[in-house]
Amino acid sequence: MSEAYIFDALRTPRGKGKSSGALYEVKPIDLLATALTALKERNQIPTQEVDDVLIGCVTPIDDQGYNIAKAGLLHARWAESVGGMQINRYCASGLEAVNLAASKVRSGWESLIVAGGIESMSRVPIGSDGGALMYDPELINGVKFVPQGIAADLIATIEGFDRESLDRYALNSHQRAATAWNEGYFKKAIIPIFDRNGLPLLQEDEHIRRETDLEALAELSPSFAEMGEYGFDALAKQAFPMVSQVQHVHTAGNSCGIVDGAALLLVGTEQKGQSLELKARARIVAATSISVNPTIMLTGATPASEKVLRLAGMKKSDIDLWECNEAFASVVLKYQRDLDIDPDKLNVNGGAIAMGHPLGATGAMLLGTLLDELERRDLQTGLVSLCVGGGMGVATIIERV
Amino acid sequence: MIKYKKDTDNIVTLILDMSDRNDNVINHEIGQAFLPVLKHLQQEKRKGTLRGIILTSAKKRFLAGGDLEYLYHAQDATEIFQFADGLKQFLRDLEKPGVPVVAAINGDALGAGFELALGCHHRIVIDNPKIKLGLPEVRLGLIPGSGGIIRLMWLLGIERAFDILSSGLRYRPKDALRVGIIDELAKDQKEMMEKARHFLLHTKEGRRPWDQDQGRIPGGTAKDPEMAKGIRILATQLAKETYRNYPAQQAILNILSEGSKVDFDTACRIGTRYYTQLVLSPACKNMIKAFWFDYKSIKDGEKRPKGFGRFRPRKVGIIGAGQMGSGIAYACLLNGLEVVIKDVSRLIAERGRMYAKERIQKALAQNTITKVEAESMLAKITTTEDPSEFESCDLVIEAVFENAQVKQKVTREAEAYMDDYSVLASNTVSIPITELAQNSLRPDHYVGLHFFHPADQVPLVEIVRGAKTSEETIARAFDFVNVIKKIPIIVKDDWGFYAARVQNTFILEGITLLQEGCPPALIENLSLQAGMPKGALSLADDLGLGMVLKYEQQAAAHYGNKYIQHPAVSVLQNMIDELQRTGRFKKAGFYQYEEGTAPQFWTELGDHYPLSKKSFQATEIIERLLFAQVIEAVWCLQENVIRSIPEANLGSIFGWGFPAFKGGVIQYIHDYGVDNFVRRCNQFKKKHGQRFSTPKKLRELVAKDQLNQQVL
Repeated sequence: MSEAYIFDALRTPRGKGKSSGALYEVKPIDLLATALTALKERNQIPTQEVDDVLIGCVTPIDDQGYNIAKAGLLHARWAESVGGMQINRYCASGLEAVNLAASKVRSGWESLIVAGGIESMSRVPIGSDGGALMYDPELINGVKFVPQGIAADLIATIEGFDRESLDRYALNSHQRAATAWNEGYFKKAIIPIFDRNGLPLLQEDEHIRRETDLEALAELSPSFAEMGEYGFDALAKQAFPMVSQVQHVHTAGNSCGIVDGAALLLVGTEQKGQSLELKARARIVAATSISVNPTIMLTGATPASEKVLRLAGMKKSDIDLWECNEAFASVVLKYQRDLDIDPDKLNVNGGAIAMGHPLGATGAMLLGTLLDELERRDLQTGLVSLCVGGGMGVATIIERV
Repeated sequence: MIKYKKDTDNIVTLILDMSDRNDNVINHEIGQAFLPVLKHLQQEKRKGTLRGIILTSAKKRFLAGGDLEYLYHAQDATEIFQFADGLKQFLRDLEKPGVPVVAAINGDALGAGFELALGCHHRIVIDNPKIKLGLPEVRLGLIPGSGGIIRLMWLLGIERAFDILSSGLRYRPKDALRVGIIDELAKDQKEMMEKARHFLLHTKEGRRPWDQDQGRIPGGTAKDPEMAKGIRILATQLAKETYRNYPAQQAILNILSEGSKVDFDTACRIGTRYYTQLVLSPACKNMIKAFWFDYKSIKDGEKRPKGFGRFRPRKVGIIGAGQMGSGIAYACLLNGLEVVIKDVSRLIAERGRMYAKERIQKALAQNTITKVEAESMLAKITTTEDPSEFESCDLVIEAVFENAQVKQKVTREAEAYMDDYSVLASNTVSIPITELAQNSLRPDHYVGLHFFHPADQVPLVEIVRGAKTSEETIARAFDFVNVIKKIPIIVKDDWGFYAARVQNTFILEGITLLQEGCPPALIENLSLQAGMPKGALSLADDLGLGMVLKYEQQAAAHYGNKYIQHPAVSVLQNMIDELQRTGRFKKAGFYQYEEGTAPQFWTELGDHYPLSKKSFQATEIIERLLFAQVIEAVWCLQENVIRSIPEANLGSIFGWGFPAFKGGVIQYIHDYGVDNFVRRCNQFKKKHGQRFSTPKKLRELVAKDQLNQQVL
């Protein structure tokens, strides 16, 4: 069996996912093509050498519809021989793409794959693809399916996380992200975005609030209280009847930001790497996915991480750095509590609360960030995991080589 | 069966007139009868000698609903589907583009009857407020099965259609016009037929919106993102209100959502598939059993003492102008009775009039009564402090506060002026009628009439038979309750009568769970999920813990040395005596109460009743809460506290809110399966105590449910 190695990881800066965001005027295939072009140029790979391109995208309609992977490849003028596939495992799509690439490589059927994700949330808003889990009345009530914000509040309620602890975590995310940018930790990965004339559009993540503090965060009003009133709190309580009242503690400040962005990794066999003079930076040790109760929904990162550790034959203490997607502050606090992780080893450069969560791309971004940081600190092993809509969870372990 | 008339304008009038029945009913017969008529009409159409059709009825009602007897016993999906499909096909043939059809609605058109009206191109109704129109199927756990849901959606849009269908309201003609389910009103039969002819003479072709190329569902389909969001909110609101216990309402929303995305005929077919599933569902069978068969059995007077002429009260005296008395007065006024409201002073008695006024004004604002009716109701109120005003009353109801001496005093005062034929009723919850009647001048004319709060809204009254109450008095009380359009159940003069006694077992079981260390939120949420209107602890607070304890002490006294103390008793004693938390009235019970905020669990509750480490199964908790009531109801049957299964069932649903989708306390056993129920009781008995042992006569008693024997 051949091992799967990561040769490169890059991402675009994240623009605010609304019409005032810097990337709103950039169409999704431009964003993806920019990343593809950068990957090709940085690594000097003849594109016909690539076996497949796997792209995560969570709202694959309109500008992102009809398989944006192939559209992006054609737009970037990659070789006709390269195929592309768009996949959707909601928030973990970008990581799932990498995991799938690694599986293909380890099967021996493919030797070089580009994997990553794209999401222009300003152009194609979340949920605009409809779908049965969002809008089928039989299914929603049948499985007691609530919006993710309600699920995040439910976690906080059950775990007893109060508003202040969530805000404190959020502040930490902003501070860490600001430091990472100031110190240039992201430099290696970032592909700035220019217009067709080479005029700059975005160099840095646009969503970070460097100036924020606990007071400012405390002033924000709960985002999901009204939604809860409509009946979603009642549904959540029907699934978790030990809860007397859902506490609405998540706000725009301690939940992930809505942003645009794309990320790619180059994954392949050692042999293929050598023949193209690519340096293997890390080995993908193990990857997995699981699923949990669909109502509370966002607690999948813990069991996914436990499972991937088992698959890798590792212990928690073998992990040097952890990344857990900051979908909501309660998700990370629960993850940290469940696995008893040292806060100084978890999301060390901030996360989606500060920099935003471009749904389909985030998983790939987190993996790239983790790899860069392992290298910067000269550490060995990292684990990245994401909670996922519908109750799913995805996790991956990498090890530097 | 169907009379056929054709006039010189080539307008055909079809008159529904089912032989051997008081009503035209939608059943297998009617579809068959229409076939040759439709064939003939098609021939006429081809020949060009048919301008239009008027569909009307020779009966007092236009067309009653479906055949519930058939639906209750139907067990075969293919047969049900084909039955609904047959009627649907008939309606489709009727409305197919071409000759326009007018429904000339001269009387009630409900359920399947209104579906036929919806299958016509135009609906005209005589503007008589007595006429009822609509699709009330949902109240029996059913839905319109022949395309009515889809037709309504195409006429009104998804959201308005959902409101009408999921509420199952019956509309008076004016309201029906306002909500848009009919097209025109006519002042009488003659004008209705004229308007129908006028419509046909001015309409060349009948073509429904869904048969038009440009036809669109008003407000859009579920594919439209805004509508999709709207449907999502409707879905969660439904889950919030019904705890997902009522599949018919959910089916309506599902059908509207799916049905808006496909063509009309496919949408109707999807609807028929849900309809078939619902007809076969336990909830639907249970609700038909309770609200149709049990209701009919009570209303037909199965338990009314025989041999006494109908009592027709005209004037009712009410002692006490508090909430209860005022509510009872209003219930009487609504049904055309005169009322005399007495209290210690005329000024206080005026409160009864004020209450009635408020309710009447509200009803006026909602258009449920006319101005003439309102004025006539107000004119029928007399207030007084003088018991001599009861002289001309056929019935006097005492509704003062729960104090035996006061009650006896005021009734005696009234009796002094009442004639020998009149009835004196006492509205009490906790004082035995026999005791109250002790000082009565005519104890044989003394009866208990237990109304439930709010008295003008809860459709149930317990008729309490005192030791000396005569059969004739019971019959009269029964007739009076019927006159005010409530459901009379006749109960024994034991503690708590029937409703309060059985309800108390629900509360006690909830309190027992608390003592076992079950999280209080779990008790309350699972009470609601079980289908009860309130959590057991919250209900205990509302009633007052002293009252809850008192009922149980009365049970103890009743059973003497056979009584085994309920585990909740010690909790109640502790709460009352040690912790001084007696309930909502004192703003301190299992909950704490602060103005302006929703009640919260008492913050120290966990200190006194700490959570147990053992895990609690939701299904088991729900079953314990319901089984406790069911077993107590069977005891009541065995002890003749209540004497029939229909009374036990409807008494439970309307008396204290036992889940309607279970069909009431006794139907619950049939739904669960008698053998399974007894087996489960035995398990609970071992695990939780003697209170779950089944009364000896359980099998014998529930076997008396003849309707269910036919099913089995």
